[in-house]
Formats: sequence, C-alpha cells, structure tokens
Amino acid sequence: MSFAGMGGRRGRVTQAGLHLGLIVACLAVLMPIVWVTRVAVVPASMSYSPGLLPQVSSENFEALFAGRFPRSYLNSLIVAAGSVILAMPFAVTLGYAFARFGTAGRVGRFSVLATQMLPPVALVLPAFAILRSLHLTDSLFGLTLVYAALNLPFLTWIMMGFFRGIPVDLEWAAMTDGATAAQAFRIVVLPTALPGIAAAGVLGFILSWNEFLFALVLSGPRTATIPVALAGLQTSNGVQIGTVAAGVVLAVLPLIVASRFIQRFIVEGLTFGAVK
Amino acid sequence: MARITLDRVSRVYGSGAVGVHEITLDVADGEFLILLGPSGCGKSTTLRMIAGLEEVTSGRILIDGRDVTGLRPRDRNLAVVFQSYALYPTMTVRANIGFGLKMRGMATDAIGARVEEAATLLGLSPYLDRKPAALSGGQRQRVALGRAIVREPEAFLLDEPLSNLDAQLRAEMRAELVRLHRSLGRTIIHVTHDQVEAMTMGDRICILRAGRIEQVGAPLQVYANPANMFVAQFLASPPMNFLPARLEPDEGLALDLAPGLRWPVPAAHDGWGRASNSSVALGLRPEDIHPHPAAGRVPFDVEAIAVEALGPETIVTGRIRAAPHLPALKVRLGRGPVPRLGETLVVHADLSAAHLFDPESGRVIPRLARGAVQ
Ligand SMILES: Nc1ncnc2c1ncn2[C@@H]1O[C@H](COP(=O)(O)OP(=O)(O)O)[C@@H](O)[C@H]1O
Ligand SMILES: [Mg+2]
Repeated sequence: MSFAGMGGRRGRVTQAGLHLGLIVACLAVLMPIVWVTRVAVVPASMSYSPGLLPQVSSENFEALFAGRFPRSYLNSLIVAAGSVILAMPFAVTLGYAFARFGTAGRVGRFSVLATQMLPPVALVLPAFAILRSLHLTDSLFGLTLVYAALNLPFLTWIMMGFFRGIPVDLEWAAMTDGATAAQAFRIVVLPTALPGIAAAGVLGFILSWNEFLFALVLSGPRTATIPVALAGLQTSNGVQIGTVAAGVVLAVLPLIVASRFIQRFIVEGLTFGAVK
Repeated sequence: MARITLDRVSRVYGSGAVGVHEITLDVADGEFLILLGPSGCGKSTTLRMIAGLEEVTSGRILIDGRDVTGLRPRDRNLAVVFQSYALYPTMTVRANIGFGLKMRGMATDAIGARVEEAATLLGLSPYLDRKPAALSGGQRQRVALGRAIVREPEAFLLDEPLSNLDAQLRAEMRAELVRLHRSLGRTIIHVTHDQVEAMTMGDRICILRAGRIEQVGAPLQVYANPANMFVAQFLASPPMNFLPARLEPDEGLALDLAPGLRWPVPAAHDGWGRASNSSVALGLRPEDIHPHPAAGRVPFDVEAIAVEALGPETIVTGRIRAAPHLPALKVRLGRGPVPRLGETLVVHADLSAAHLFDPESGRVIPRLARGAVQ
C-alpha cells in the first residue's frame, strides 16, 4: 500500500518510522489504563502476578461495593452536577457581558481569572473557615458551593470565548426584526451558544469530578467523593490495590462518555451556517 | 412609506476614531439609493445608525420627518440585510423568515401564509424546513432577503448583500433586487463597494470617503460630472487617468504636459479659462482615449507596458513616448487587434471629454464659469 505522494522505498520507510513512533506514544498513554483495568478484573491475590489475564474475577468490584464506594460515587455525581448547574447561569451571563459589552475592562476580566491562578492550597483553608462558620463542612451542599465558586472563573472565560465566536450581526438582525435586547439574547444567542454551554458544563463536571484537595478537607466519611474514597483505601494494612483499580475503572467511565460528547461539539463548532 | 433624512449625523468611537462625519442626506420615499465607497469609509456605520443599531454621536435621523434618533431598532420598522446574512443558525428557514412577524405578535396561521408567499417569490419553497447550514450561499442570501421582505418594512437597508455571491449569481441578484424594488416600491438604501452595482441599480449614488460624503447624484450624472478626483477614480473600472499639467493661454487654452507635449483645449470652456496659468490635473477616462483619429482628438504615441485582453475590449496600459516620466495611462480599446507588449501605438485623446481638477484640493474645475448659462 502506498499513499499519494509517498510512493517509493524512502516514502515507505518514513511511513513505517512514523507509525512506530505513534505506536510507542499510544502505548505510553494507554499502558496505565490497560494495567489498571487488568488489576481491577483479576483476583486481588493476583494483582502483582505475571501474565496479562491469569484469571478473571469480580471480587474487587464486590469488595468495592461492600464498602462506602457506592455512596461516594453518588456524592461525586451530586457535587459535580450540582456545581455545574449552580455555576453555569452565572458563567453564561457574565461571559456574555464580557464578550459583548467588554464589561469590567481588560483588567477586570483578567482579575476574574486570578483565583484560578492561585495554588489551590492557598484557598482551601479560607474556604474551610468560611464553610465552618456557615456550618457547611461535611456537607454536600457546602462542597457543591465551593466547586461552583472554584470553576466559575474558568467557565466564564470559556463562555466568553464561545460568545465572541457568535457574530453580533445575529443580535442586530433579531433586534431589527422586533426583538428586545433581552429577547435577542434568549431566543437567538442562547440557543446558538447551547453546544458551547454544554461543552463548558461537561468540562466543569470533569474538573469537579476529579478534584481531591478541597474534597479531602471539606468532606467527612458520609460526604466523601470518589477521589477521597479511593485514597481512603490506602489503609494501615497496605494499599488494597485491586479495589482501588476497580474504583478507578468505574470513576473513569463517565469521563470517557463526557469527552466523546465534548469532542463532538468542539468539532462541529457553534455557528456553522449562521454566516456565509 | 418612508423618507429617510440624515441631518449632520456623526459617529465618533470611544477611541476618538471617526466612523462617520456630519453626513447630511435626504433619501426620498421609494428611492433606491446606493451608498458607495471603499472599505472602512463608514457605509456600514451609516446603515447601522439608520437602523438604530449604533449610537449616534451627534446629529439627527428622521423617518418621514419624525425624529427617530433615540428609538430602539424594533420601533423603527426598517429591515436590514447584513453582509454576513446573519441567519439564525438554530432555526429553520421557515422560522428565520417568520421570526420578525412572530416578534410583532402576528398569529401563527397568518405568519405561515406570509412566509409561504415570500418563499414562493424568492424560490425558497423547497427549502423551508432546512437549517441555514444546509443551504448554498445564494439560498442563504435569499433567506436573508425573505426575512426582510416578509415584514413589509418601511424601508430596506442592505449592507453589501451581493458581495459573497459568485459573479453570475451576483448579476442575477442585481436584476432581481431592482425588480423587487419596482414591485414593492419601498425605499432601499443599498451599501456596496462595487462600481457595477452602483452604476446599474440605484436612482442615486452617494459616494463616501473616510466618513464624509464626496458626491450625491444620479449614476450617469456623477459619471459625467465627478465633483473631485476621488469620485472620478472610484466610480469606474478601470479608473480615470490623471496627468499633471499646466493650463496656459494659447490660441484659446493649452495643456502643457511636458517639454514638447502641448495639447490644445477646445474653446468655449470659459470656466477653465479662469484657471489658466496654474497647475491642474488632467483627468481622461480610458474610454476617452481612442484608437482612431477624429476631429478634435489629439494623437500621441504610447508604449504598451501591460495588455489585458478581456474579449469584448482590451485594456492597454501605455507609457507616453514623448514624456515617459508621466504616469502611465489606461486606454480602453474595442474588439480588434490586440497590441503586443512593448509595441508602440498611436492613440487619440478626446479632450472635449476631459476633466480638469485642482491638484491641491482634488476638486473639479468646472468647464463653465459659475453662473454661466449652459
Ligand atoms: N467599534 C469600533 N471602534 C472603533 N472604530 C470603529 C468601530 N467600528 C468601526 N470603526 C471604524 O469606523 C470606520 C467605518 O467602518 P465601517 O462603517 O464598518 O466601514 P465600511 O462598512 O464602509 O467598510 C472604519 O474606519 C472602522 O475602522
Ligand atoms: Mg461594511
């Protein structure tokens, strides 16, 4: 087989080298995932034994479900989804104001991102102090609030980018067609931005889903999220590696679905067909 | 019905940049007015101010004598077709066209009927349930037009509506817009930077440059009597040629172009007489330099330094043999033998069709003295 313009011996050698490189890169990326999956599905006693699949067993998953894991899975879902639902209305309206009216000026817009640039450790203690005074530590709602606040700048910035990509002509057209500015936003701009809003929401979900530090400090046994629960499997009698692996496999599942979803929207783009 | 009046309208941006400077313009009811000018001259800004989409820094805009300067776009009942078409991407063609009626609270049945009617008029009936993304450029352009027509607005504001179409479609749409204007009888302000559109479509042309009006008038009248060098150059393709010269009294008048190059000016141009003994810019359109001699034409030799054979005509860029330092001239030859590059040809300038401009201000020097009877 030869590719157009790639004919001849030298072309084929180049192709082979290229593929070899790509295969090595793929292996480097996939190895940990393959290994975790393997450890999850073989019996705990064989976690470190040689061979790809010496024996298949659901014992790790059973051990996982016997403990607090199902509860923390639900906690993660609630907190991640809740924080997105809480933050998005603000991110959307703020992003629109930034994009269309240049609200707050350049400096103002950048200072919104400042919290994102601080190391999380610098924020976690103040957050703890605030939540404690509100009696919201060890509470899913408290964690949801904190995640919403943490992700808001980032989500706002993403939404601003999406709104910048929507031509202002659309709003002008709607307004000459008889819409008020608010109607133009609601009926024309918002539906056009929907894929972007969905993509930003999914990103926010992933960020919250993976967050460890704040969850560790702000949650208790009842309200632990997946990262905290998995860390809790490093007990005094060693790391239960099989159970951890099973937990990781389950934790990654929603992310695979989510990333497929984002990919579709980002590839399709927002306003295809709106202008020429 | 709408007469649109701009009274010393200016738009200054926050940065101090001037988009439009003190434009005063009266567009008659039912008129087809062309706003013509190069990119960045303020055409879109003017249109947006009329539509109420852009703040007016100073001046007034009136529709039928009513001051609408502070009114919201929705309260002006004007329709705008944007250069980008600005179709609502999430809505079907049907919903796009019907949007304006829906916003004005018309009943769903009535909207349906009106949309069908507009779609039939524009040949869009088969596409009513498609989204804009599934349409060709020409079809999108028609949807944008349909969206404007269906509302039966007082006037149409079209911002370069044809500039994204290919040449053939553009020619068809030119004719179609003129037809629509005839049948609807509404005021149209049509923005373009295309000379063909400007010459063929409108009742009047308003030529803008750097935010100011340069000239307003009927197309052929502006072509025949450009007020300044900018208009003379902009409203034709290829543009008017300019040669620096001195106007001197002779037996009558003569243009002194270079040592040994002296062209007599036809008599009875007493307006020009007043400008004698001064530097002028001689404006000669490529179509006023002919391959054949005739009475009153001045022959001279040019060397062809560029030849564009277009079929029906050939445009030759020629350097004047007797004065090679002068700017090269474009000459429009009819169908006939195409000169070779480097060839010398004899051409004949028809100075009775020439224009003279003040090289400093660029303004035309009228042929007839002010107040003289033509
Ligand atoms: N928002 C803005 N801020 C500053 N200058 C602007 C803005 N919009 C337009 N301009 C300037 O105003 C002038 C006229 O623009 P425009 O009306 O779009 O020109 P045209 O439609 O004739 O190409 C241009 O010089 C442009 O740079
Ligand atoms: Mg423009």
